[in-house]
Amino acid sequence: MSSEFSASGSIVFDQVSLSRNAHPVLHDLCLQLNERRIGLIGHNGSGKSSLVRLINGLLQPDSGNIDVHGRSPRSGPEKMSAHVGFIFQNPDHQIIFPTVEEELSFGLMNQGVSKKEARQQVADILAKHQRSDWADKAVHSLSDGQKQLVCILSVLLMQPGVMILDEPFSALDLPTRYQLMDLLSQLPQQLLMISHELDTLETFERIIWLEQGQVFQDGPPDQVLPAYQAAARRLQTL
Amino acid sequence: MISLYIAQKSWLHRLSAGIKLLFLAAISLLLYPVEQPSVLLLFLIATLLAYATVGYAALRQLLALKTLLPLFALIFLLQWWSVGFAPAALLVMRMLTLILLANLITLTTRMDDMMDAVMPLFAPLRLLKIETRRIAFAVTLLIRFIPVLMAVVNHLLDAWKARGGGRKLWRLVIPLTIQSIRLSDSVAEALAARGGISSPLTQDQLHQKGSFR
Repeated sequence: MSSEFSASGSIVFDQVSLSRNAHPVLHDLCLQLNERRIGLIGHNGSGKSSLVRLINGLLQPDSGNIDVHGRSPRSGPEKMSAHVGFIFQNPDHQIIFPTVEEELSFGLMNQGVSKKEARQQVADILAKHQRSDWADKAVHSLSDGQKQLVCILSVLLMQPGVMILDEPFSALDLPTRYQLMDLLSQLPQQLLMISHELDTLETFERIIWLEQGQVFQDGPPDQVLPAYQAAARRLQTL
Repeated sequence: MISLYIAQKSWLHRLSAGIKLLFLAAISLLLYPVEQPSVLLLFLIATLLAYATVGYAALRQLLALKTLLPLFALIFLLQWWSVGFAPAALLVMRMLTLILLANLITLTTRMDDMMDAVMPLFAPLRLLKIETRRIAFAVTLLIRFIPVLMAVVNHLLDAWKARGGGRKLWRLVIPLTIQSIRLSDSVAEALAARGGISSPLTQDQLHQKGSFR
């Protein structure tokens, strides 16, 4: 395994600024993320997605430094993929291969694992999650929730220290969301999740509320979530 | 249905992709000189029996060939008119047998196994500095995303009809293009987040040289 597994590290943003298409997105952001369960909230366009994309190098900052469990995302997303797992909003934009087994082995083979060994690990993780019959399944025959589970398993196989989830449940029904949340809450990884479903974040250790590219509030969920909700009710966005 | 592969375990699934493809090539050569309709008929029946041994799902795929029937009829009639009934029957039976066999291989071979079997044939391209793994990858991506793009088309069509769109369907081309480009952006991002496609090549080469780690 090329990544030494660590869930104890921290993510540090040191005076990070980022602009996209000449628009400032994040300005002088300083953050230290030590907690294992961190929720990221904010209105659309507040910079949440940009912030998490800085962590695995999908975006590079204009200035400032980022440290992710002792590694610099400047090395690019390909290098960071062994340390930072990323789950996107729409599984259909994330699944690259026609069958579940191919999809799950892709990341492992990128890490230099042989095809045979990758298939063994895929069989093991499917068995562990009672989904052994999925190996040969065509991904397009799965439901949205099942596809999202495939995405999560494919990232877990790479044993990253950090898991980033960018609104992973927005297309899923409530029972599916609960099941996936149960699975995620048991993971040893450091979890950073963007969500508009505030009840999902209630059990998290820390909530960061972004507003116009800056931290607006930062604290435990029982403080930040009600304040965010109250502000959202007052706000005219249309 | 673009992903034709039938997920099950049959004797044909267990055979390696290379052997199946070699067998197909051999049969193609073998059938070429055959002049007796009865022998060809035998091959055709054997092919259909092979479908039956794979199971119901494979037999059902035979129905998908319905769309090819008019084409076969046309070829048969043209051949009958130009060279006579017997040669026309031979030709059509030969074609049908080979197409059915090729289709059977598609049904029972996983995409990546097929690619592994075919890729060595592209080896000469490496001399031209073309990365053959990228070709394999592009094929895989295409197969994966055809159902996704079909869904995009259907959503656009629904939205179009729901607002009384009318018959000028060509106007959907631009939104379809925009959505496809957006989709490709997301896929590229997801791909990079899982290690990209350039690394497996280099790592495989390192493996082959035995110098990795």
